Amino acid sequence: MAELLTLWQSTGVANFAWGQLLMIAVGCGLVYLAIAKKFEPLLLLPIGFGCVLSNIPVAGIGGPDGLLGMVYSVGVETGIFPLLIFMGVGALTDFGALIARPSTLLLGAAAQFGIFATLLGAVALNFVPGFNFTLQDASAIAIIGGADGPTAIFLASRLAPDLLGAIAVAAYSYMALVPIIQPPIMRALTTKKEREVVMQQLRPVSRLERILFPFVVLALCALLLPSAAPLIGMLMFGNLLRESGVVERLSRAAQNEIINIVTIMLGLAIGSKLSADKFLALETLGILVLGALAFSIGTATGVLMGKIMYRATGGKVNPLIGAAGVSAVPMAARVVNRVGLDANPHNFLLMHAMGPNVAGVIGSAVAAGVLLALAGS
Amino acid sequence: MPETTLITDSLSLMAIGMGTVFSFLLLLVLLLKGMSWLAEKLAPAGVEPVLAPAQVPRSGQTADAELIAVISAAVARYRSQRRQ
Repeated sequence: MAELLTLWQSTGVANFAWGQLLMIAVGCGLVYLAIAKKFEPLLLLPIGFGCVLSNIPVAGIGGPDGLLGMVYSVGVETGIFPLLIFMGVGALTDFGALIARPSTLLLGAAAQFGIFATLLGAVALNFVPGFNFTLQDASAIAIIGGADGPTAIFLASRLAPDLLGAIAVAAYSYMALVPIIQPPIMRALTTKKEREVVMQQLRPVSRLERILFPFVVLALCALLLPSAAPLIGMLMFGNLLRESGVVERLSRAAQNEIINIVTIMLGLAIGSKLSADKFLALETLGILVLGALAFSIGTATGVLMGKIMYRATGGKVNPLIGAAGVSAVPMAARVVNRVGLDANPHNFLLMHAMGPNVAGVIGSAVAAGVLLALAGS
Repeated sequence: MPETTLITDSLSLMAIGMGTVFSFLLLLVLLLKGMSWLAEKLAPAGVEPVLAPAQVPRSGQTADAELIAVISAAVARYRSQRRQ
């Protein structure tokens, strides 16, 4: 009889807590969004399943001695996984559009205003009872506005590990929502005439320029903002693998095998941090609201900067491409292209939007470096 | 009030942050322009074939037409595989 009781006590049924059941439902919800709605499936599917696994009672998969717990402490706590992903992003990214028209970097800079406005918003939420964000928490939440998953995870793992799960889920869900969030803002801020502007074709970029580019960016980063050097350094290393043309095997590994393996591990490890006591909290709701705000403000300031450039160049720049400054490569650039085509069916803005788009990646890495340097101490 | 100091902290973080991001990227604009100028000096444009695929079916007069067709098909196939 005593054995039966022991056996019963080791079953899941006897040990389930309400919070765990709810979190398993949340995990299944994320998997549903990934499969049925195709919301960033590459990340939300592993995150959702990791959430289900780590909320199984007794097994302790997400605990310090469990599989996912160990993967988390090796890869996410140390910041290694997001950095390896950044290397892959560098190897996948063609910076040619940016090199051909460097002024689009300003659009990428303007769109980062969303990050800092959200920082203010997160701190202001402290006036609402129930919220208690420190400056570190607020910085980690604000980086969602950078619309760059690896950067957000990197910064959150440094500044606010407790909020990492919610921040990662918010960052990737909003990246999936870019095609819904951005177009209304873009249309509201531009006139039809501005949306119709056809831009001049980009000049070809020589191989030498492409090879020098990573060194120029890295040198500036090393001189001015070493705290962003891990992010920028890996991004530029990946890009050099791509552009050097002599290490094609390494380049292909970075943009396929390595990034895929790391994405699986990263997703599962983040999912393991979705526990009831951390995720089913008022703060998560605040993070979701602030994330949407960050995205919208970033899009708006990017478009406004685009309008300034439109005026300054005498109507040669289509202000819509400013919206691509919020990184989210290449989704934001595709959205720009679509909105441009709506206004003028012969106007393909995709290549022009890639400049501000990749500028946004550099911009949010710089913003992360600033936040790390100022709020991290 | 800790909240109000936090607000002033985050306001200054916002000003410094935006200032840094802008000046960083503005400097990068200048450096990239300089880099392109330098690259133009070192290796004038036009010499370097960035988009190489223009030479495939050129030398077609002396060589055997069938051989050229086979080679260009193989090149095209190899390129499209590498693109993947």
